Amino acid sequence: MSLDIINVEKRYLNRASGTTINALNGVSIKVEVGQTLGIVGESGCGKSTLARAVVGLEVPSAGSITWDGAVIDNKAKDRLKSHHSQVQLVFQDPYSSLNPRQQIENSIAEAIEVHGLVAKDKITDRVTELLVMVGLDPDLRNRYPHQLSGGQRQRVCIARALSAEPKLLVLDEPVSALDVSVRAEVMNLLIDLRKNLGLTYIFISHDLAMIRYISDVIAVMYLGKIVEFGTWEEIIENPVHPYTKALIAAMPDHSIIGDPTMLARTLEGEVPDPVNLPSGCSFHSRCVLAVPSCSIIAPTLRDISNGHLVACSEV
Amino acid sequence: MIKPLLSVSGLGISTVQDPRTLVNSVSFEIMPGEAVGVVGESGSGKTLTALSILGLLPRGVAVAGGSIVFNGTDLTKADPETMRNLRGSDISMVYQDPMTALNPVMKLGRQLLEVIESHEKLDNGSVARVEAALREVGIPQVERAMESYPHEFSGGMRQRVMIAMALLLSPKLLIADEPTTALDVTIQQQILALVSEQRRKRDMSMLWITHDLGVVANLVDRLIVMYAGNIVEAGTVQEIFTNPQHPYTHGLLSSLPSRTDKSRKRLTSIPGVPQKPWLVGNTCAFAPRCFKATSECTASAPKLVGSLEKSVACFHPMGDK
Repeated sequence: MSLDIINVEKRYLNRASGTTINALNGVSIKVEVGQTLGIVGESGCGKSTLARAVVGLEVPSAGSITWDGAVIDNKAKDRLKSHHSQVQLVFQDPYSSLNPRQQIENSIAEAIEVHGLVAKDKITDRVTELLVMVGLDPDLRNRYPHQLSGGQRQRVCIARALSAEPKLLVLDEPVSALDVSVRAEVMNLLIDLRKNLGLTYIFISHDLAMIRYISDVIAVMYLGKIVEFGTWEEIIENPVHPYTKALIAAMPDHSIIGDPTMLARTLEGEVPDPVNLPSGCSFHSRCVLAVPSCSIIAPTLRDISNGHLVACSEV
Repeated sequence: MIKPLLSVSGLGISTVQDPRTLVNSVSFEIMPGEAVGVVGESGSGKTLTALSILGLLPRGVAVAGGSIVFNGTDLTKADPETMRNLRGSDISMVYQDPMTALNPVMKLGRQLLEVIESHEKLDNGSVARVEAALREVGIPQVERAMESYPHEFSGGMRQRVMIAMALLLSPKLLIADEPTTALDVTIQQQILALVSEQRRKRDMSMLWITHDLGVVANLVDRLIVMYAGNIVEAGTVQEIFTNPQHPYTHGLLSSLPSRTDKSRKRLTSIPGVPQKPWLVGNTCAFAPRCFKATSECTASAPKLVGSLEKSVACFHPMGDK
């Protein structure tokens, strides 16, 4: 069983201006069951679009996404429902992803009912079980979201996602909105759940430190493409693509202190507009290694050693 | 002996009606040319402390005690005219969100000229001065930028404009409230480099507020750690990062995933959530979450003791390594 993302493209038409936003420009990746794929990149790189496509909230403009051999699209509603019993999404903001007028119990119970996983009279027990599973006091069941802290709310979102008994959990920046001192607890919870329930994760973040901590394999995205892919050790210890290197260098680091030269290693310029994609390699305008041919030929991912893939002609 | 540029002592901030303490007896100093970072989570009082310096506390919140002495003047007693003259010229501020801090319907050139106009008379050189300020922070095609509106710029570029605006009248103290939180990491790095360079060039003092310890590690000289309205620890960056004394600082540092640990060992987490500052009373605010807490910690509040290099408010500090 695996998730196969093959050449996925996603374009949004802006009707007002008649322009097209190129959010995903040919992404291919395979996630094996039991693996955690970390996807890292800056805003606009397409990481959240990819997450939404994996759970069927977006339909690819081209290419296909299949889970266990079944194609994910929103054409057949029944199929999407059975897909959601296998693949669930946890959003970044636990403040806006829970219904403020619904008690915690009902938020979770609704998902159980939709999937018809337990008998009606057993739902209360199942909610208790799920709350305990994510480390919450079952007495919180009658609370409303505003009565909970950010960390507790994110745990409720995780419990709700787990209520469908999914195999794959897509986590889109699950700790970014939380206070620093509660992030570690939620990360530890995610690691425990993965082990106890045998889950597969797609963990999306702009925070390379969290990605490094939880992932088995890491994909680095830039302007709707994967520019580098490999095991976490390879990507962090031995990055090859100039963008990955810049990203790692820009990562705020508390282990190196009082060294102003740390701030000098900056990547120049900004991410180009996804409406007008650069010709050739989309990173060439900011790249230190760029040669004239980079603005003409778009590099494809190639294997440089044991599955470490990089899309760059100059390394 | 060098006098501090800013000296905050016993500063308390609370709501006006139904008084609730938000910041409790905070004291610290900033020397001329020194950069100080304030680290804390949401609700720790770091932003209120900064806003009180500028006299910009939100409606319904006021200074309840203590003093803020800037260059010999107590700002808590200053009249509105004095404060107006000070803001933007001697002390200026860069906010977290450049989109809401800039006027969306006014051209950038005009917005920057307004800063000069509010303190001195505009003259023939004013436009050139604004253009030079924008060029200095790395805005390309400055003449065109002067005629543009904020929405025409990216977040990073807007934050550069905010910095140009803040530096326009050569302030002695720059207050920055999480100016890079809304930005991508590579753009954050660019802004940190820019601020660091400008600060050195101008020998300007700086107060940098953040929740991200990694951001200030290479940017400031000294750090203040705030928790539930109190300063729990303060000291040089070196001391705080390598030898944290307060269990909260220690917990915070060890809850961050390390960049070098190959075993990816389990993150140390701090149980529970921060207390509301007004519910702390005369106890240690961190006691309910602290693994070293004893009955002593809930009997009275620990005082911040130590030197400028290193001070801690704790009955049971971690001790030297």
